[in-house]
Amino acid sequence: MGWRAALRLSGTAFTELSLQAIYAFRQGNVLPGGATGDLVPKARRRVLQSKAMVSGLLGFLTLGAAFLLRDSSLVIAHAFPYYLSTAAFDTGVVTALLGLDLAFLWWTGLQVLPTLLSSSVLPVLETLPLDERTLRRAAAILYLRLFDLPALTVLVLTPVLVAAAVGLPAGLAVIPGVVAAVAFALALSLLTARFFVARVQGARGGGGSTVLRWAYLVLWVIPAFGLFGFVTLAPAFFRELAHLTGAGPSAPFDLLLVAFPFTLASLPSLAAGGSSALPLGSLGLGAVGVASAVYLGLAAACLAWLGGAVRRVGQAPFGVAGSSPPSPFGLRTTGPVRSVLVKDLRIASRNPGYAFLILLPVLDAFALGLLSYAPGSSTGGADSLALGAVTSAALLATFFGPAFFAIEVLAYSYGRTLPLADRSLVLGKAALVVAIYLVAAGVVLGLVDLRLRAPLVFLAFVLAELPAVAAASVVELGLVLRRVRRKGLPVVNLYSGSWTAILVAVPGLIVVALPFTALLLDGGSSSTAALGLMALVSVAELGLAVPVLLGGVGS
Amino acid sequence: MASSPVRSPLPLALDGLTVAYGGPPAVNGLSLEVRPGEIYGLLGSNGAGKSSTIKAVVGIVRPAAGRVSVFGFDPVTEGVETKSRVGYVPETSLLYESLTPREFLEFVASVRRLPPASAAERGQALVAAFRLEEEYDRPIATLSNGTRQKVLLVAALLHQPPLLVLDEPLNHLDPRAVRLVKDLLVRYVADGGRGVLFSTHTMEVAERLCTRVGILDRGVLRAEGTLPALRERSAHGDATLEEIFLGLTEEAGEVRAAVDSLERL
Repeated sequence: MGWRAALRLSGTAFTELSLQAIYAFRQGNVLPGGATGDLVPKARRRVLQSKAMVSGLLGFLTLGAAFLLRDSSLVIAHAFPYYLSTAAFDTGVVTALLGLDLAFLWWTGLQVLPTLLSSSVLPVLETLPLDERTLRRAAAILYLRLFDLPALTVLVLTPVLVAAAVGLPAGLAVIPGVVAAVAFALALSLLTARFFVARVQGARGGGGSTVLRWAYLVLWVIPAFGLFGFVTLAPAFFRELAHLTGAGPSAPFDLLLVAFPFTLASLPSLAAGGSSALPLGSLGLGAVGVASAVYLGLAAACLAWLGGAVRRVGQAPFGVAGSSPPSPFGLRTTGPVRSVLVKDLRIASRNPGYAFLILLPVLDAFALGLLSYAPGSSTGGADSLALGAVTSAALLATFFGPAFFAIEVLAYSYGRTLPLADRSLVLGKAALVVAIYLVAAGVVLGLVDLRLRAPLVFLAFVLAELPAVAAASVVELGLVLRRVRRKGLPVVNLYSGSWTAILVAVPGLIVVALPFTALLLDGGSSSTAALGLMALVSVAELGLAVPVLLGGVGS
Repeated sequence: MASSPVRSPLPLALDGLTVAYGGPPAVNGLSLEVRPGEIYGLLGSNGAGKSSTIKAVVGIVRPAAGRVSVFGFDPVTEGVETKSRVGYVPETSLLYESLTPREFLEFVASVRRLPPASAAERGQALVAAFRLEEEYDRPIATLSNGTRQKVLLVAALLHQPPLLVLDEPLNHLDPRAVRLVKDLLVRYVADGGRGVLFSTHTMEVAERLCTRVGILDRGVLRAEGTLPALRERSAHGDATLEEIFLGLTEEAGEVRAAVDSLERL
């Protein structure tokens, strides 16, 4: 048995994994109505479609970066009110691109790895009379197939577009960076999956354990926050970069040079402009060389580690973390809507993919709040800060709303036998989105208010937008539910249902944005009239959304 | 819920039920009744249509034709009303893997709107009866198949439903739990108002537990009645349920031929 057998086995396993990612039969979903003969090709098609969408987004990011690199002088002149060298700007853009590639691939891995673990495709292979090496190879190839199209997009498109924008030497010099970003993303996905199996999925219930699980999840989500965090942090990053590179060679810049992905992102600028392109002393130049070699070595080690680790993770039984506290064996009940909210929070506390959706808006709010303390940050007053913070919290909470419907895939056939009205289901999930918005808004409000002392302005913005957030989540979840009832269950996650998620998120985002648009049309101030108009639009949206979207759904 | 108003005293009535998944029907024109005080055993080989019938009863699949009535309520058009009167144990224990039994049962009890005091009291009693204390706060993903089955049985019994729908409920259970379930079911229907639909392919269990049995073969009901009535219909008056079953499904000859052919290998 050799590579050919491993390739064939991984193909079979990937087909099963695709089927489970789309239809989730092993998680308790039922056969969809209608013809069932084409389930496997349909599952393959939908996984390919989602991979293509992820790849398209990565390609779009790369194309955007290439445009910035091509016209860097123009961008610097128009976008930055301070001096920034072209080489520093280019390094910053490539840093951002590599960081986003890594975060996006990692996040994609997180969406599918729970399916890989729960589908038991790897333990099934273990029962076949195959030698260790073939099994290890089959597991590793299966894992690579999860990322194939998006990873290839990054690996091929980035050097080609960077070469087209800056020149061939820069295009070649970016290759180590993209290889390392892809290798680290693959390794981080698996590492976090191991962590998830060991510390989160198997953790006991109970208050203390729940707090600990959420603490683990926050720690673990922070790096993945890079996906969105960079958008928030970009202005501060470029300002700091201008400050560091403007002062000539310095120890802080040397330190930045050895940080991933900045080290490898500096190689295209150095290849295009020579060692004088960036303010490097001989120490700095040496540091770039050594750090680049270390990162490439680490990337190679990651790929070698993946070979055996995928198989071990696939086999890992769920352990039970924590000791059993003596507790009564009764039950505490609540109403149906609250029970949906509590169930989703409990499931999210053991599923990093869902936890990420809850924590991302909160972490972003935290970053926004902290940035308001950064030297040189905008002091445009409470109005603009409040508007920015509330917009960000509302858009993020709403954008990921449909993804919470994917929780219903778990034990779907059993869930459908419970007397839970569709209205309660939608309202329970909408309550979660609203709660995320309120927590995120509360975090930014708390942080910024320590400095600006304008709690009422913030509170007014948060409350004026609140009905629109509720309306948007009802719109999105109501649309998903209608689709579920008509066509079967769409698994609304990045790996298997990105199309549905995007289709329903667009009207949701429009609903969230309308009150802001009304406010901006009225001058964007926090005057009573402007905030009143914003609140009016927001309440009107909720008044329309609930009867229209929930009127037709009953039991 | 046991005392909630009903439109019909009949726990379950199927009238010409047909279930299809795009190909030939899995259940074809099935009509049967589960009467008050009755444990009705639905017997059949693998793929005979037992689980499809049960899924239509509990509202997981929509019938292609025919009607299901649970105490007069239709699971298709009156889902919440129907489901609140049913306790269900599925064939496979696919639950919310991330929840612990406590969290799962709290969700089920909340959705069923059980009063807090009765949920706490019944929950505690059932957990003790099924000896789930050790596993009560462990994620379901870490539990054995037998323990998951016990969690499902507790969830089905929590609200004392007037109709229990059990799809192979004794799968994976240890002997003590099997005995517990059998004794519980006999007492459960003793008050005369409740009914149980019980699917199995273990003939001994059906023979000892069920008031009446229906034999399903390729989606069609081949025979129905009490064991003595079925014996009367068969060629031998002292036939076991297994012999009656194999005779009705015309599988006795096939089994003999298969054993003979294997022996020749």
